Amino acid sequence: MIDELAKEIEGARQAFVHELERIQSPEDLASLRERFLGRRKGVVSHLLVRLKEFAPGDKPRAGQAVNGLKAFVEASLAAALERRAGAAAGSASAWRDHSLPPSELPVGRLHLIADIQRRIEDIFLQLGYEIAVGPEIELEDYNFTKLNIPEHHPARDEQDTFFLEGHDDLVLRTHTSPMQVRYMLEHKPPLKIISPGKAFRKDDPDATHSPCFHQVEGLLVDRGIRFTHLKGTLEAFCRSFFGPDIVLRFRPGYFPFTEPSAEVDISCFLCSGKDPACRVCKGSGWLEILGSGMVHPRVLGNCGIDPGEYSGFAFGLGIERVAMIRYGVPDLRLLYENDLRLLGQFG
Amino acid sequence: MKINVDYLKRFVGLDLDDGALKELLAGLGLETAETLRIGGETVLDIETTPNRPDWLSHYGIAREIAARDPRLRFAPMDLSAVDLPVGAGVPQGDAAARPAANFAIHIDDPADCRRYSGCIVRDLKVKESPPEVQQLLVSLGLRPISDIVDVSNLVMMTCGQPLHIFDLEQLQGGEVRVRRARRGETLRLLDERDVALDEGHLLIADASRPLALAGIMGGLASGIGPATRHIFIESACFDPVVIRRGAHALGLKTDASYRFERGMDAEATLPALKMALLLLSRSQGRALKPSYFQDVYPRPQVRPAIRLDKGFPRQLTGMDVPEDAAAAILQRLGFTLRDGGGHWLVEPPSHRVDAETREDLVEEIARVHGYGHLKGEMPLAANPQLRVDGERGAVQRLKWQLADAGFNEVINYVFQSPEENGMTEPQGSLLALKNPLGRDLSVMKNSLLAGLLKNTAANANQGVERVALFEIGRVFQRRGEQVLEERRLAASVHGRQQKKDWRLPEEEFDFPWLQAQLAALGRRLRLELAFRGEAHPAFAGGCSFRVEAGGRACGWCGEITPEFRAACKLERPVFACELDLEALLACRGENRFRAWNRFPAARRDFTFLMAKSRRYEELRAAIESLRPAVLESFELTDVFQGPSVPEDKVSFSMGFTYRAPERTLTGDEVNGIHAGFTGRLAATLGLIQR
Repeated sequence: MIDELAKEIEGARQAFVHELERIQSPEDLASLRERFLGRRKGVVSHLLVRLKEFAPGDKPRAGQAVNGLKAFVEASLAAALERRAGAAAGSASAWRDHSLPPSELPVGRLHLIADIQRRIEDIFLQLGYEIAVGPEIELEDYNFTKLNIPEHHPARDEQDTFFLEGHDDLVLRTHTSPMQVRYMLEHKPPLKIISPGKAFRKDDPDATHSPCFHQVEGLLVDRGIRFTHLKGTLEAFCRSFFGPDIVLRFRPGYFPFTEPSAEVDISCFLCSGKDPACRVCKGSGWLEILGSGMVHPRVLGNCGIDPGEYSGFAFGLGIERVAMIRYGVPDLRLLYENDLRLLGQFG
Repeated sequence: MKINVDYLKRFVGLDLDDGALKELLAGLGLETAETLRIGGETVLDIETTPNRPDWLSHYGIAREIAARDPRLRFAPMDLSAVDLPVGAGVPQGDAAARPAANFAIHIDDPADCRRYSGCIVRDLKVKESPPEVQQLLVSLGLRPISDIVDVSNLVMMTCGQPLHIFDLEQLQGGEVRVRRARRGETLRLLDERDVALDEGHLLIADASRPLALAGIMGGLASGIGPATRHIFIESACFDPVVIRRGAHALGLKTDASYRFERGMDAEATLPALKMALLLLSRSQGRALKPSYFQDVYPRPQVRPAIRLDKGFPRQLTGMDVPEDAAAAILQRLGFTLRDGGGHWLVEPPSHRVDAETREDLVEEIARVHGYGHLKGEMPLAANPQLRVDGERGAVQRLKWQLADAGFNEVINYVFQSPEENGMTEPQGSLLALKNPLGRDLSVMKNSLLAGLLKNTAANANQGVERVALFEIGRVFQRRGEQVLEERRLAASVHGRQQKKDWRLPEEEFDFPWLQAQLAALGRRLRLELAFRGEAHPAFAGGCSFRVEAGGRACGWCGEITPEFRAACKLERPVFACELDLEALLACRGENRFRAWNRFPAARRDFTFLMAKSRRYEELRAAIESLRPAVLESFELTDVFQGPSVPEDKVSFSMGFTYRAPERTLTGDEVNGIHAGFTGRLAATLGLIQR
């Protein structure tokens, strides 16, 4: 019988603790006191009444146990009251040191690549471009042939391609340009899009290569579009992204899907070409950043657009390259290791 | 392409230091990858593009430089002293015109070989090349072998035309035939590899057997050796695609195949042959005269003139170049122009195999004029109808919300190992790469979870106490003939919720924490997510849930099985989820105004014991089915188990909020409704009021 009582007392104690932790207001506290210490209906009174039922030999021990609970409840309520009073009064007496460092709450970050991509997208959205996103597994026809890279063209060597088992007509896209094909096939000019996303080339990972990387490519097609429009657009973008004083250098280049084609360098955003030991441009003053050109008439034709009536420009840049030169990430592999020591530095 | 600067200067009189030369080349589209100093000479390793095979020689680079500056002239070697019956092309099969020698050249299919020029030179003595030739070859990365072999390399590096020289005494039957291989034929190549051939390979053969892989590599048997006395020199133009296919099939890439597969100039075979004779005469110390010469050129190349409207360069580029200046640029590059009034008819020089369209010509003008002279302008193109991409905004919001909750975004490759795919689909069919980088990266991923688990382990093993990650990416699956891509959002947590701090509760991540974050993500999209217990291979029994939004399945969450966790050497539990982003976005709720009730609400609490055998889901369903009309909302405020609660029961506390749409409810009214409702609820589920 005494065991039963002990169990009951322990249950009551735990219930009390449980409820005490959830106290919100002085009213809650008063009601808790009433429920446990109330003269007629309180839990303790109820237990004390039951002492009568015990044999005289057990009575003292049972009484002790119940009184132990009573003392615990009283002390806990008193302490709780004191804490509340202290908190309410601003407790001039309590020790405080506001020079303690604040608690460190977790702050998550966006991946540097994703964040750069978003910022590039935002600039082109402001320029009135639409974002067009395409599949990562692409028709070989869209990835190469329609972009004026026929089978057995040496340009395919430069884009070492992943193929899929059992799907001879599919490749992992080697650039995001096939989305431009898809868009041109489905829309009539004027067209003004960027296509960001992952692309893949069969390169063993090293400091400057990754089998998986990110690109943003842009396309504008309308009547009367000329090379100087391309130049103006890329100047606007680069100055917005890298800084207002950036100068662009266009060099002749070759891409099968554009003619004329140009490689685009920006002046070094760090030293502007003035520091021969610059860690960003290595003293050259220039950073290769974009590929671009006027859309090849054959590509327009392949995509159902009359090259006699329309012309357009296209450009593309690698986000990893931007991460490396703009943010000083020294090794491309770091961007795919997902080590929190890197992730925490950006985004 | 390696260019020896001193050698280059022989063909174009220019006086520039190396830096200025590199600058000039860059302006023309030729980037210098590396500058080497070899034996006191400067060698530039120049990056060329696949469309310009004519750049793959010193002549090609010299021609470009000369075009850039009207004061410069391209000056090739003087070949006038070489005695070859130039111009006496002999049509195939014309026996009468064949030189009177017991030898003949045949081309089986002119589509495979556009031109084949060859000559025989007798009574040679194999020597070493002169020291300056050896030094030149070494500087260009080639190994001097003998004067005969060296001449073929030197000609190629000088004018771009690959030659092949055979030991005449190894040629049987007095003929050289350009033909396809027959299945089953084999050939031992110069590098001593034996290759099995089929109809895809183009051969140089004699009357009885294969001698060489045309345009790729010679055969060992007919190669030049120390004892060679008589030689047959081949200077030919092969079809690019045939050479490329053949070289690829055998995994071969040679200086010759590299050039042929980019397309060579059919007009270049004879000058190359003459250059070979000239250079060989020098090393042999006497003027060599071929005992036999034949030039088989079945269909001399005729390229249609390109019509270029005089206003087109400006129209396409916006550049400000006077017409005569534009014409002069093209002429300096070797193009022939005929003035047609408003347009020119332009014939490209034979070595410009890339020039086909008017856009190509504009590029030439703009390139030599200098892209730097073009002034940028913004296009005033009519904006297409702007589509505001609400989905992009929603995804970005989700990412920021996850970051705010302390998750870090990761990006992984799209391929992984077959075992990693097995984590979510033990029996699933694999979408494998035909040419993966390795087994670990050989299949397209079907889930983002394995990648997150790997990232978690990598960080946790570095001693990071709190690892909360998320990734948004595609997963792939095969459905019949189709390949499907799906955008997923996955997240995982491992370790402590907070950095250790005496003021903060010291708690480990658990499933309710993750679930609460998911529910909050759902609310961001105005979606109420439901979690239904269901088995999934990646999640442990008892903690594996299907996530639903508006009755539609949109993902999974739970605790990663101990086996997968152990495989990554993680000791603490990992909780994770993977959601179908498209499904989630598709059912996101609408933002629109709903009026709220202005009458006061009354709240009543209800604390009761429920049998452990029942689930909250049942309770919730019972509340929904019994709810009085004026019950506005309800919430669960406490769940408690302890000694005061019988073993087989759990204590629940709930708050019910009552409100009528059109009036204030009285206290008694609410009490009555609440009592009746909770009574019915208790009766239905066997609840005991506390």
